[in-house]
Amino acid sequence: MSKGKNDKGKSEKKPADGTTMDRRDFLQGMATVPVLGVFGAALAGKIITDKRSESAAVRKTTAGDISDLNIALLGAGAEGQVLMNACLKIPGIRFKAVCDIWTDYNQLRAVRILQKYKHDVTGYEDYREMLDKEKDLDAVLIATPDFWHAEQTIACLEAGLDVYCEKEMSNTLEGAARMVEAARRTGKLLQIGHQRRSNPRYIHCYEKLIKEAGLLGRITSANGQWNRSVQPDLGWPARYAIDPAVLKKYGYASMHQFRNWRWYRGLGGGPIVDLGSHQIDIFNWFLETPPSAVMASGGTDYYDRATHEWYDTVLALFEYETDQGMVRASYQTLTTNSSEGYFENFLGDQGTLNISESANRGGVYREPSAPPWDQWVTQGLLSKPVPSLPVDTAGAVLDVRETVSPDKHEIPVTFTDPYHQPHLENFFNAVRGTGTLNCPPDIGYETAVTVLKVNDAVEAARRLRYGKDEFRIQ
Amino acid sequence: MALDTKYTNWQVAGLVALRVLIGWHFLYEGIAKLMKPGWTAAGYLLQSKWLFSGLFHAMAANEAVMDAVNFLNIWGLIFIGLGLIVGAFTRAASLAGMALILLYYVCNPPLVGLYYTIPSEGNYLIVNKNIVELAALFVLFLFPTGKILGMDRLISRLLNRIRS
Repeated sequence: MSKGKNDKGKSEKKPADGTTMDRRDFLQGMATVPVLGVFGAALAGKIITDKRSESAAVRKTTAGDISDLNIALLGAGAEGQVLMNACLKIPGIRFKAVCDIWTDYNQLRAVRILQKYKHDVTGYEDYREMLDKEKDLDAVLIATPDFWHAEQTIACLEAGLDVYCEKEMSNTLEGAARMVEAARRTGKLLQIGHQRRSNPRYIHCYEKLIKEAGLLGRITSANGQWNRSVQPDLGWPARYAIDPAVLKKYGYASMHQFRNWRWYRGLGGGPIVDLGSHQIDIFNWFLETPPSAVMASGGTDYYDRATHEWYDTVLALFEYETDQGMVRASYQTLTTNSSEGYFENFLGDQGTLNISESANRGGVYREPSAPPWDQWVTQGLLSKPVPSLPVDTAGAVLDVRETVSPDKHEIPVTFTDPYHQPHLENFFNAVRGTGTLNCPPDIGYETAVTVLKVNDAVEAARRLRYGKDEFRIQ
Repeated sequence: MALDTKYTNWQVAGLVALRVLIGWHFLYEGIAKLMKPGWTAAGYLLQSKWLFSGLFHAMAANEAVMDAVNFLNIWGLIFIGLGLIVGAFTRAASLAGMALILLYYVCNPPLVGLYYTIPSEGNYLIVNKNIVELAALFVLFLFPTGKILGMDRLISRLLNRIRS
């Protein structure tokens, strides 16, 4: 460190105050700047490669025509942003408008993100103004609170737009029924956001494992759950609070209610509707019928009842009279403990199907007494079996009363896109006329009838029957 | 800053290479976050354990604070990265980089008895790559090279000219 080679021979040329710059100073000063060029080239290469691989992945799943569609987003809260991010991965989708009454916050954030992606997008507070001004829309995504769904969906359908509406279809059956009627009357498309209906893993389980291979045998029982940890109420930055007059105009008594609408009667339906409807919808789908009766126990046991009008805990029992016989199903939502997360289980006399939207979780388990599944493995419907218990415990001596633990097979369909992407793609394909909806309003209505009655059953504290004609709008 | 005239050429090359590599890492960490729409550090902060976890959890729960944290984190990474690469404000960039990394480290330190579910690409006992990078930045702070190969050379001459 003492040789000082770097400045050798220069010191005598330069005045001691170090204020002059010669060519050598400039070259040394700028010596590492070219690294930025290399960085820029590497970054550009990465962006181009990522884009190419993304669009290649999308091309796989998108059939035929991809003419551009102009869409609007109603409701840019958490769910609206999930839909927006999924849409940004789908080619041919142009956002033209974002509508949210939280103009300084949710709306602004969504507009900024979309502008970053070069969408020429306008923000609106009132969806009616948006419908008046935006005349070249093809479709609308609705992710507002449940109590707005019916009015907004019907207005959009009547304005000639196809609609993707988040579940729950409506917070009232009357509203959901009017949505079905509006879709029929206008002839426009209405997709309800039960996105598992388009999830390739769920489709594989239903069409291949249950229908084609009949792996489960006679299904006798189902169970499901969505357990979540304790969560504090949603807050808001004080300086972004919405004017009380604006809140009142849109049906909210306070900023707290606006942020936590899911817990309030008349606005949402509580966790059993928010979370349960996704999974009870799978019961109806896989069992090929809605239930005939429901019992339920629930209540606001943990949170403040003044701000949590809907139940924080619900345990429900369903009876399904299927073509194969009775299936009894249980479902629970907890908001105080996240044990085992969320999944659905279908239990038959030959096997068990465990499936979850969460991160490719799931498996199929063969009952030891069932016929072999090797042919289905050969055909690629299932992965090769793996022991379902860890090797060190599998060696334990079995008690004679136990059955041997079944082998586990993986579901050989992996799915790494955003959860909502295939359901949105299914909707856009239908809009373009190249596909049919996986969750049309009649299915959404059937699920709404099934799920909203759970809250009635909690209230009634007895077994409630579903009428056969209750599930259909004539 | 007498040190900046006393390195051998190889010492300069080694220090400048270290500076540019760390700068590159910072710059891309910032840009990658910037390019992900809606990216937020909230998930990382929620995983926090150890002494400061209460503070990090409180930050993650407040959207306004998170907006500021995300902004400072992303642009901090980018400007520190640029500074290190081109050798501008090298010592300030080194210090700022150390501060940022120290926050990452105390948020999720790989201490004995703490177990994380965030996947990590290596195996760490107390020392992880964050703390190694922090130490490397400390070396860059002690042995600055911005005035030898970097824009600090031009900046200091300009400042001197203004002062005189």
